[in-house]
Amino acid sequence: MPLILVGLNHRTAPVEVRERLGVADSKLPETTSALRSIEGVDGAAVLSTCNRVEAIVSTRDEDSIEAIVDWLAETASTQRAELEKHLYILRHGDVVRHLFRVASGLDSMIVGEPQIGGQVRKAFITALDLGTLDSVLTQLYEQTMRVAKRVRTDTGIGEHAVSVPYAAIELAKKIFGDLRGLQVLLLGAGDMGELTAEHLHQQEVKQVFVANRSFERAQELARRFDGAAVQFDRLDDYLAGCDIVIASTAAPHYVVEPQHVERALDARKRRNLFLIDLAVPRNIHPAVGRIDGAYLYNVDDLQQVADANLTQRQQKATAAEQIVTREVDAFRKRLVAQDAVPTILELQQRLEQIRAAELEKCLRNVGPMTAAQRAAIEMFSTQMINKILHYPILQLKYMSDEPQERESLRRTIRKIFGLR
Amino acid sequence: MTLAATDTLYVALAFYALGTIAALGSLFTKVKRLQHYGLLMMIAGFVAHTGWIGTICTRTGHPPITNLPEATAFVGWVVFAVELALWIRYRVYAASFFVYPLVLLLLTISAVAGEQFAPLNPGLRSNVFTAHLLLTTIGVAGMLIGVAFGSLAFIQDRALKEKRRGRFWEWIPSLDVCKRVSYHALAIGFSIYTAGLLAGILWSYRTTAGLMELRVKQVGAMVAWVLFAVLLKQYIAGEFRRKRTVLLSACAFVAVLVAILGISR
Repeated sequence: MPLILVGLNHRTAPVEVRERLGVADSKLPETTSALRSIEGVDGAAVLSTCNRVEAIVSTRDEDSIEAIVDWLAETASTQRAELEKHLYILRHGDVVRHLFRVASGLDSMIVGEPQIGGQVRKAFITALDLGTLDSVLTQLYEQTMRVAKRVRTDTGIGEHAVSVPYAAIELAKKIFGDLRGLQVLLLGAGDMGELTAEHLHQQEVKQVFVANRSFERAQELARRFDGAAVQFDRLDDYLAGCDIVIASTAAPHYVVEPQHVERALDARKRRNLFLIDLAVPRNIHPAVGRIDGAYLYNVDDLQQVADANLTQRQQKATAAEQIVTREVDAFRKRLVAQDAVPTILELQQRLEQIRAAELEKCLRNVGPMTAAQRAAIEMFSTQMINKILHYPILQLKYMSDEPQERESLRRTIRKIFGLR
Repeated sequence: MTLAATDTLYVALAFYALGTIAALGSLFTKVKRLQHYGLLMMIAGFVAHTGWIGTICTRTGHPPITNLPEATAFVGWVVFAVELALWIRYRVYAASFFVYPLVLLLLTISAVAGEQFAPLNPGLRSNVFTAHLLLTTIGVAGMLIGVAFGSLAFIQDRALKEKRRGRFWEWIPSLDVCKRVSYHALAIGFSIYTAGLLAGILWSYRTTAGLMELRVKQVGAMVAWVLFAVLLKQYIAGEFRRKRTVLLSACAFVAVLVAILGISR
């Protein structure tokens, strides 16, 4: 059963093209059903993310490709010739390799990003619920998810943050472990600080306090994080009660001085304090970083962490590619072997019929014989048939993954052995 | 029959050696799978080790803590049991870089010492004496784990302060977990060890009418007790980050080893 994938991604198409073809979550079932209804298509799934749109099908013949391209052009309301410039068309083993790489995050804009695994799962689950997956695509889906999991577990490719806000969260976890139950103090309303506080809020920290020169703005931000606005001049009080401090004010001077932190740590009985200075010019005095129990990171430090993580991910991608190559080979062999099963069974039945008929004739001609003699002749005939079948079966099991070559070999074997 | 002549001991040693090699290999190659294999090897070794401890108990009719090979085998066994419990609770792999070689070292000492199974001196057949041996051994194991996690906390603190990831970065859990485990292991281990020493003094007083003799093991045990007491005070004061705390941990570790190695002297 040939596998075909037609699609475009962030490398082959600009965002103007991707957004025209992109499928909203609510439209995914309808789009998947439309793809399945194309003539010649036996199984279908549609993967749509902000960086890629791909139609994955199993089909009886490759002529369906033309119809799929037409359908995509129609869906994007664009000229076929225009769309074709951005499309890639993959076949058989290349589809398997591509999907394994996509689900593992190896084909993503940021290598190893974790969301793509969930998006691939969603595409196939939608198709599964609609009944548009045939047995080949179902196996492909299951194996894709297994490979993606293995790549992530074995290489740890998606483990470390590659953006400044996430790098801050990763460091917070290295200090505190579980972030639930922690209190966060956001100083100022800079964009990066807001984003970091937002991510921390998603990690279910206990409380976010917001201090800003404008109390109204502080209240507005606090509402976003289900937190509380505090007066800026009460900094000392809240510094002692909070575990993470994010400074992101527009002040041209230091807002947090070493004596603030010393007092806070004394009040906290030297429990660790993580200070994130995202402001330029800096808001936290660099000497704070030398105080025991205080961990200070500024925006450059965090950027370095993110860059180092990205380099590490790229190194891990090499090991991940090796896993994918091995898995593609194993999956290809499995599919080919399955594809050969009906012919092998037919071949065995046909030769067994011949053997049984000829044995019967032979036994009639020979006349009476002992049970042992009869068993020896039967064994001889069975072994001979097995020997004759050995190489044809081997050839069928390890055929090429090109469907046309497989079909050609199957036809030849059927012809030689007189199968219908 | 010498202690070194039993198969389960060699099986345990072989598995521990493989586990240690795999764990250290993962540190240098950063292949996570090696850590899993290392842990499985260590667990297999632990099973054989348990069999070996059982063999000693069956043949001598007393807990395996009366001479050097018995004591090192038992301390190593308890250390790994505590490490395994902590792994189940915190999934901490980094401690394995310290604990696995330590367990291997202790069992190797047990194997090469080659002393005879020691029939228990009738004078030592006492519940107080047994309690003394068991409590000090378990206390030592707890304190060694505390030192291992304390070292991890120190390494993690340095890495965070200097903004430089070392080789251990990926394997070490959060600083808070390292601090908590090291403090609890030290505090609990020290309390049990103290109770064990008191039981020893009591037994000595009963049998010899003196507080204790001053031989290698007694001096080593008392020095270790003082060093661990100071170490615990440092932890309570939050001074695990100081270099002198690390130095103190190393000295306490050596004192404990001296006390164990001097058990027959």
